[in-house]
Amino acid sequence: MNLDDITLPSKQYKRKVTIFSISAVVVSLACIYLNFNPIGFFTEFHFVRDLLGEMFPPNYQVLAENSSTGYAILQTLSMAFLGTVYGGIIAMILAFLAASNTMPYRVVRVIVQVVVSLVRVLPSLVVVLIFVIAVGPGAFAGMLTLVFATIGTFGKLFTEIIENSEKAPGEAIYSVGASRFQVIRYSIIPQVLPSFIASLLYALDVSIRAAIGLGIFGGGGIGFKLQLAEKVLHYRDVTAYVSIIIVLVILTEKLSDYLRRRILGEGRLR
Amino acid sequence: MIEVKGLTKSLPNGRKLLDDIGFKVKKGEFVGILGPSGAGKTLTLRCLNGLLKPDSGSVIVQDEHGQKHDICKINKKELRHVRQRIGVIFQGYHLVKRLSVLENVMIGRLGQISTLRSILYGFTDKEAEEALMALEKVKIAHMAESRTGNLSGGEMQRVAIARAIFQSPTLLLADEPISNLDPSNAKIIMKLIRPLSENIPVVGVFHQPEMTAKYCTRVIAIKDGKMIYDGDPKLSNKRLEEIYGEELGQLEQYEYNAPAPLVKEEIRLL
Amino acid sequence: MNRGEFSFKRYRKYIIPLLLLAAVTEGAAIVCGATFEKLEDGLTKGIVFFRFMSPPDWPAFSEMLQPAFQSIMIAFLGTVFGTLLSIVFAMLASSNLAPGWVRNTARFLIGLERSIPEIVILLLLIAAFGLGPMPGIIALALGCIGMLGKLLADTIEELDPVMMDAMESVGANKMQIIVFGVLPQIMPNLISYSLFRLEINIRLSVILGAVGAGGIGYELDYSFNMLQYHRAFTALLVIIAMVFGTERLSYMLRKNIKMEGALK
Repeated sequence: MNLDDITLPSKQYKRKVTIFSISAVVVSLACIYLNFNPIGFFTEFHFVRDLLGEMFPPNYQVLAENSSTGYAILQTLSMAFLGTVYGGIIAMILAFLAASNTMPYRVVRVIVQVVVSLVRVLPSLVVVLIFVIAVGPGAFAGMLTLVFATIGTFGKLFTEIIENSEKAPGEAIYSVGASRFQVIRYSIIPQVLPSFIASLLYALDVSIRAAIGLGIFGGGGIGFKLQLAEKVLHYRDVTAYVSIIIVLVILTEKLSDYLRRRILGEGRLR
Repeated sequence: MIEVKGLTKSLPNGRKLLDDIGFKVKKGEFVGILGPSGAGKTLTLRCLNGLLKPDSGSVIVQDEHGQKHDICKINKKELRHVRQRIGVIFQGYHLVKRLSVLENVMIGRLGQISTLRSILYGFTDKEAEEALMALEKVKIAHMAESRTGNLSGGEMQRVAIARAIFQSPTLLLADEPISNLDPSNAKIIMKLIRPLSENIPVVGVFHQPEMTAKYCTRVIAIKDGKMIYDGDPKLSNKRLEEIYGEELGQLEQYEYNAPAPLVKEEIRLL
Repeated sequence: MNRGEFSFKRYRKYIIPLLLLAAVTEGAAIVCGATFEKLEDGLTKGIVFFRFMSPPDWPAFSEMLQPAFQSIMIAFLGTVFGTLLSIVFAMLASSNLAPGWVRNTARFLIGLERSIPEIVILLLLIAAFGLGPMPGIIALALGCIGMLGKLLADTIEELDPVMMDAMESVGANKMQIIVFGVLPQIMPNLISYSLFRLEINIRLSVILGAVGAGGIGYELDYSFNMLQYHRAFTALLVIIAMVFGTERLSYMLRKNIKMEGALK
């Protein structure tokens, strides 16, 4: 091998510069198109400082004023919880109907997979708007949206988990004369259950963030209160709500972690 | 040349990891450091190039102009300058796997290139040419453009040697360079390192007394942080036991006792 | 207990947790105002509504393309800047690149950012800078930090320390070690994670758009509020196409990265 066979660093440099320039041009064009000036964030930073001035100190009176804040928190938690539970159960059922090793009829599988895909691709914005029209604004609409979102996110995942489970134990059970349901009950379910539970606990975490976001669209809960406060320029309230939200999310995360360790830890020792 | 004096390092509880280690290595010498695991060999080597700072002692090396520096006492900038000319080969995989072989060799001179130039421009064609020549010396130039991660252990160590050669070092350090290699590759590496010692001092830590006996000009033995031998690389069996003795003796605790044969009764119930 | 006798005993330990679960579920349902009648009512209304929404307003399609492109650009820029920010944060949050207290602070900030939903960030930014794509892009960029920052920091911490020791030993300084050692090794992960985040950001861009960042999210919300449900349906279809297209693209590119890593 001699000098002619390798790519010289100078050529590599030229290539790198070209790629970098093109990327820079593309990004700049995009910024211009959207009227976005990244430097503006820093030169106009006084806006942020002004806002921060108005936002602190946070007004925790909102907790004391009336019980509506506490109720809103409860609502958000409930939305997330129910959305995860019901969504999770439906997702599990659908997953069993869509997995190749639990559903032998291709037609059923395809239909279910299409349905799950449709549900998944609908942005939650649309779903919440429709539910608000269907059942009125408030936490119920938010909860139903979360059910949808959970099905969409976890339907496909659960199907994959089921299909990736090991065949061997199932075949062994089958060969001693068990029915399909028994195979599912004794081979597949014990294998997939830990993953399902872990996924659901993670879903709880995701749902709580989504619940807050949905609240802003009329889904109720603390997201709604936050948005309300912002519209009327009660920035101190906004800060209080934001801090409550952060606490809520962190607590849910810790709870979900703790539950996962409790339940799955037990499972393994059993 | 490299001169080590009074290298000492202790743990907070008083135990001495290195106890007054001192030796001198001139050009033309290939010194192998032997000793049981945990004796302080690797610690000593790390002190030699500044990765570790001892509690007391000095390590004096000469740079390309003949100027002397004490590695234990110099500041970062000076250290970087001195390290430019110290070649290092570690055990195992210490090259950047996703870069090409040629790039890994050229990395050897990063200490000699200004930060700005190296980051914004990269390497020059001339450097690539010289790197290629270094690869020729270790007979691996044909793999110059291959991704380093695809090479075998022996080939990777050859690239490491090429990188050291590329630095035009005034000192070469090796930390168990052949411990991960099979016997034939180990021989190749030792055969490549040996001739380098004609122009510069070479100090290597080894676990293979038979290799040091064959290729090194001198052997130093470290045990429990103390130097207990400095001389002829060919070690008598008595010497070897002195050095490694306790290790071999400790093995007696772990005597293997064959399990008692199963009685017929036990087999029935199993 | 003889063999052959069926007993529910083994399920005993599930009783209390299940009762608890049922109670919480019921309580939560009351709090949300969820009742089955409302659900039935709503479902029928919903289905009627869907029929009401079609057919989509086909002529409005061309009006939807520009906002859709806007949303895509917002997501794109948000991801680009977010990735750059995340790389910086990730390096500060790695124990092998940053001193202990810096690393812990960075990790804390990353965790904190993860707790704040992007919509909340957007609301705050709108309060500061007003409506438009700018707060949207910034919100998405900041939102990346939680996910990409953590993933990249974990990846960096898993790098072989000997590799960095070796580079330090030949005289390379911190910057050079990062450019020649760390970055090449994390590159495939970086690209893969960024592409995944792009998918998420496209969805977020739609939602944020409705809150005030513009783009097709705003169009959808506007149509709904103006009771122009056919138009809304058109917007919906465009959104679905957008999300789906991005997912496919991202998936293909990521598969390419995986293959390139394996084959070469």
